[in-house]
Amino acid sequence: MQSSKAASLRRQRFDEYVAVYHQDMYRYAAWLSRDRSIAEDVVQEALMRAWKSLDALRDEAAAKQWLLTIVRRENARYFERKRLETVDIDNLTASQAALLAEQPDEELDHMRQAIYELDDDYREPLVLQVLMGYSTNEIAEQMGLKQGAVLTRLHRARAKLKEQMAKP
Amino acid sequence: MKCEEYREAIAADPSFDGNAGHLSECAACQAYRTEMLALEQTIGRALRLDVPELEMPELPEIVAEESRESSTSMSDNVVALPNRRRVSPAWFAMAATVVVAALLGIRLLSTGIEYESLADEILAHVDHEPYALRVTDVAVSDERLASVVPANVAKMDHGAGLITYAQSCVINGHEVPHLVIQGERGPVTILLMPHEMILEAQILAGENVNGVILPVGNGSIAIIGESGESLERIQQQVMKSATWST
Repeated sequence: MQSSKAASLRRQRFDEYVAVYHQDMYRYAAWLSRDRSIAEDVVQEALMRAWKSLDALRDEAAAKQWLLTIVRRENARYFERKRLETVDIDNLTASQAALLAEQPDEELDHMRQAIYELDDDYREPLVLQVLMGYSTNEIAEQMGLKQGAVLTRLHRARAKLKEQMAKP
Repeated sequence: MKCEEYREAIAADPSFDGNAGHLSECAACQAYRTEMLALEQTIGRALRLDVPELEMPELPEIVAEESRESSTSMSDNVVALPNRRRVSPAWFAMAATVVVAALLGIRLLSTGIEYESLADEILAHVDHEPYALRVTDVAVSDERLASVVPANVAKMDHGAGLITYAQSCVINGHEVPHLVIQGERGPVTILLMPHEMILEAQILAGENVNGVILPVGNGSIAIIGESGESLERIQQQVMKSATWST
């Protein structure tokens, strides 16, 4: 009886995290992989892994970072397993193209294309900062970088986006 | 602060509000800031993709003693990895399964999670503790290190590098010291496994991972860093700093 209650509480705790952070997990995965289908697969795998290791998460405040770290690792694993080639932006699959052509807003489409074309090293810290609200110090922790390296990458990312947006 | 420094700072973080004095005196930087804030809004809108409805994967049943309640009752020095399953009346059938799995070379852990190799289990474990991989210059105390690396198991001094994390964890059913030192490209995980004898070094190579499991006496030591981390120097330092007590 008691174990049933404990299992129920465990599931409740997990569902709460999923409800709060699922969107962040998906968007992070989508921008890491640049592919909506892969993002869905990665999130599924990440949820499974998070469920199995939920008891290792002791600090509730670290839940978001914990989940995003799992997404990051699952994404890397996915690409290792599949040995996927770097995305060729002139030859996108429907799932990759779906990431870009969503809005009738031309400026938004232009920006989305520019972000899509950023190198992974620049795109990821940008996503973590703008979308996830991470500080540069937190990004450094997440990516295993020095804070100075993060600042440089963010600066360069925005410079590239600015340059791209200035193009007709 | 010069214009160039200010612009670099605001391009790295548009919420930067340092040096308001410079901003009030420099029209060019004011214009630059306005431009960057507008750009930031567009970036934010572009990144906010529509999210499809979640399809929750079928989650395996986790036995009750793996719950948070039981884990919080464990020693603070021990990470709350799932406990062993209790032996059930159906253990006869399970035992047969384990024998078959062993013959196939599959690692069937008490957690119910299958690992094909020690390397897989180690990598999964590192995933379980992402908060261990912090970039920091704060070392754990000697007391903490001594409690995680008991004298009757192994001896480890600070010669391995700046040890910033120390925790007792469970690998293949044995409590092992899990340490993190700061490498050149980021945190590097070290697992001291006196019970895991291997015949030769095993390389852990991947897109994001660069590691090795080294045979050391009757046990082994795993060293895992970010891809691109040069582990040779760390290996030498760790081998010099760690010795088994048994």
